[in-house]
Amino acid sequence: MIEFTKFCLDNGLRVLAHEDRSTPLVSINILYDVGSRDEDPQSTGLAHLFEHLMFGGTPGIPEYDKHLQLAGGENNAFTNSDITNYYISIPAHNIETGFWLESDRMQLIDFSERNLEVQKKVVTEEYNQRYLNQPYGDAMLLLRPLAYSKHPYKWPVIGSDISHIEKIGINEIKRFFFSHYAPNNAILSVTGNISPDRVFKLAEKWFGPVKERKLKERHLPAEPLQTQKRILQVEREVPSSAIYKAWHMCRRDDPDFMTLDLITDLLSGGESGRLSTKLVKKEKLFSEINAYLTSDIDPGLIILYGKLMDGIEPEHAGERVDEVINELMNKYAPAREIEKVKNKFEASAAIGNLNILTKAFNLAYFELLGNPELVNKQVELYRMTDRDSVIETSGKYFMESNCSTIYYKSSGRNRQ
Amino acid sequence: MNRNETKGPVVKQASPGTIPEARCIRLKNNIPVFIIEAGSEKVIRLEFIFDAGHLREDKPLVASVTNLMLTEGSSYHSSSYINNTLDWHGAFYNQYTERDRAGFTICFLERHIEKLLKLSREILLNPAFPERELNILLSKRYQQFLISREKVQNLALEKFFNSVFGNHPYGKMIRLEDFGKIRPDGLRDFHSKYYVPGNMAILVTGSIPAAMIDLLDDSFGGLPVSVVPRNLNEYPIGLSRKRISIEKKNAIQTAVIVGSPTINKCHADYPGLKIVNAILGGYFGSRLMKNIREEKGYTYGITSSVTSLKMSGYKIISAEVNKKYAQATIDEIFKEIRTLQKKPVGKEELKVVKNYMLGEMVRMFDGMFALAESFRSIWDFGLDNSYFYRFEEKIKSINAEEIISLADTYYNIDDLYVITAG
Repeated sequence: MIEFTKFCLDNGLRVLAHEDRSTPLVSINILYDVGSRDEDPQSTGLAHLFEHLMFGGTPGIPEYDKHLQLAGGENNAFTNSDITNYYISIPAHNIETGFWLESDRMQLIDFSERNLEVQKKVVTEEYNQRYLNQPYGDAMLLLRPLAYSKHPYKWPVIGSDISHIEKIGINEIKRFFFSHYAPNNAILSVTGNISPDRVFKLAEKWFGPVKERKLKERHLPAEPLQTQKRILQVEREVPSSAIYKAWHMCRRDDPDFMTLDLITDLLSGGESGRLSTKLVKKEKLFSEINAYLTSDIDPGLIILYGKLMDGIEPEHAGERVDEVINELMNKYAPAREIEKVKNKFEASAAIGNLNILTKAFNLAYFELLGNPELVNKQVELYRMTDRDSVIETSGKYFMESNCSTIYYKSSGRNRQ
Repeated sequence: MNRNETKGPVVKQASPGTIPEARCIRLKNNIPVFIIEAGSEKVIRLEFIFDAGHLREDKPLVASVTNLMLTEGSSYHSSSYINNTLDWHGAFYNQYTERDRAGFTICFLERHIEKLLKLSREILLNPAFPERELNILLSKRYQQFLISREKVQNLALEKFFNSVFGNHPYGKMIRLEDFGKIRPDGLRDFHSKYYVPGNMAILVTGSIPAAMIDLLDDSFGGLPVSVVPRNLNEYPIGLSRKRISIEKKNAIQTAVIVGSPTINKCHADYPGLKIVNAILGGYFGSRLMKNIREEKGYTYGITSSVTSLKMSGYKIISAEVNKKYAQATIDEIFKEIRTLQKKPVGKEELKVVKNYMLGEMVRMFDGMFALAESFRSIWDFGLDNSYFYRFEEKIKSINAEEIISLADTYYNIDDLYVITAG
């Protein structure tokens, strides 16, 4: 149970506080309601590049990291399709340094040409390291544009092409900052060894003076209904072939989300998941196989991917995957199996609550979704899933006409 | 200080304060149990630690495959029963094989303690090593091994360990044909020697039920304790060739590794070496990170670390860099090491690294997972919390001269191996 208090500053900043005296630390999480879906199609990768620039100093504080380290703090950030999220872990007695640093860079950053040039190179190397120089690394870069035709989820967070990053200029950076980084577009959550009262006083003191800004309105094109299956075949120099599949799903705040989440656990949660039991252990088609939800706020994707054993044809393995999927729609899942995935969800929620950073993020995220109270209702809500809703929900999303598939074939050139 | 720089709130150096002590209790048959209470949720983490790491294996894969086969069927139950039962109870578990030790970690809601303790005992002490499951596991692992060798970072790492530790179990490379040599009998033999009550310890962290010891005694305390073979390994000796480049065609980046064997935690200089390492490349504000990433943009990240092993230790600097800049990166790494040896660390930089490391020390004891990890990091070497207090003292007291002297002693340029893959 995460007991929390909520408060809103006059400039629109929403603040959530949760006290946990079992730790000597405090976590500060700042979520900005901007992600890669807010980019122009010609400037993909901007939101993530911008996250890098947020560490490049401000007119008042040239070195963000140095001051946080002096206070014994540690920090990091991530960008996804929907949000850009910054977080700090800091000893409780130095908490005010965190407020100082975060409010300062919400106010203004240095729009340094030099820093921009260096961070473009760093992001290019990140692109290389994570996607281009890894076996199978480009698969997700191919899957999104296959599954989406209109919605900005069609490009990956890192950017659809590195040339987009290279072209971004300082004026575009400035525009992005002033239209997305603002108290009225952010959620601050603070958890750990601190009273809610102190959190609000500090929030008022440091973030209060930051002026509200006029935000860029969000008008995203809806993804048209997919009516036909899509298939892409590629050949790469990898040791074994692989399959990637994606089905369109509901929005993050739709009740079907929870059922689908549990369905992916039925498929691949732990060693006892259906895909692993049937297709890895029994039929020896795959060396590994997994299913998960992208968990995006707008309608996201159910993703399933597997790497094949040597000599197995992707089309054949794909048919077997379809049969496992069809079983979800045609046959009641045993009560014990449904109970199993619910139990696992309950345990993972409890384990998540051991960590003040996780609690801070969850509070901010559920606030963004519209109701922070839901953070404490997840286990109860997931428990409502039953065998009928599994059949019904599977039937709603796992149609062949709603699916995109990549057959990622090994060229055979580096088989051993 | 920059002319316009604003002055922030006054900061105070952090301190971990009094570090929680693990309570040590022995089961009826003398198995040591360490208990640290922590956390606000009804969650327990159990770790069963065996002296059954790579150090104990006579050929590659034996230690790790024995460990992975623990959940693949017991004398009483099938692999599918075991996996289903673990998942049904919402258990998050991890089987690990390190150079020195191997084990099984399981984390779950307190109410499942009885069932999961019994199952853990069965997994750990009564595995059956069924042939069918073994073959599946080996072919899976074989595929994953082929994939891992497509990554430049793995190619360089593998060659690095082989270079610094030679043919010792710490450095032995896995070859494709090793997969074909693993048989159930070999695993059973390894298991019967090393996965035995006389060779294990149990670490319990989290929310501890009152009957914890009785429950552990019920499951583990009645087992007879046998004699465990002694470790007969010699200390590792590195290979003489210090520069190796592995070619991987079509690679876009080059993995660069610079490092060498070094002292471990039991040496008095170890805390000082950790501080030198932090300045060089051990945190985001380190010199290598600032130079190679934040000034030159050659890489997404470069790190330097020092690791202790029972029979050795190593330091390693590693990065995946744009292949155009591989040599330039190596040159800069050497330049930064020479600078550390010649030029005293400035006051401000020293203060930043000290304060940062003290903050890290607070995080090392925050919560049941961090506490368990920190406990293992000293217990593995026969040390106790006094190691951490010495470490804290060293962070507070170290000065620029001492850093130069440590850098001179432990970053001898001629000792360093340089491995690239790409």
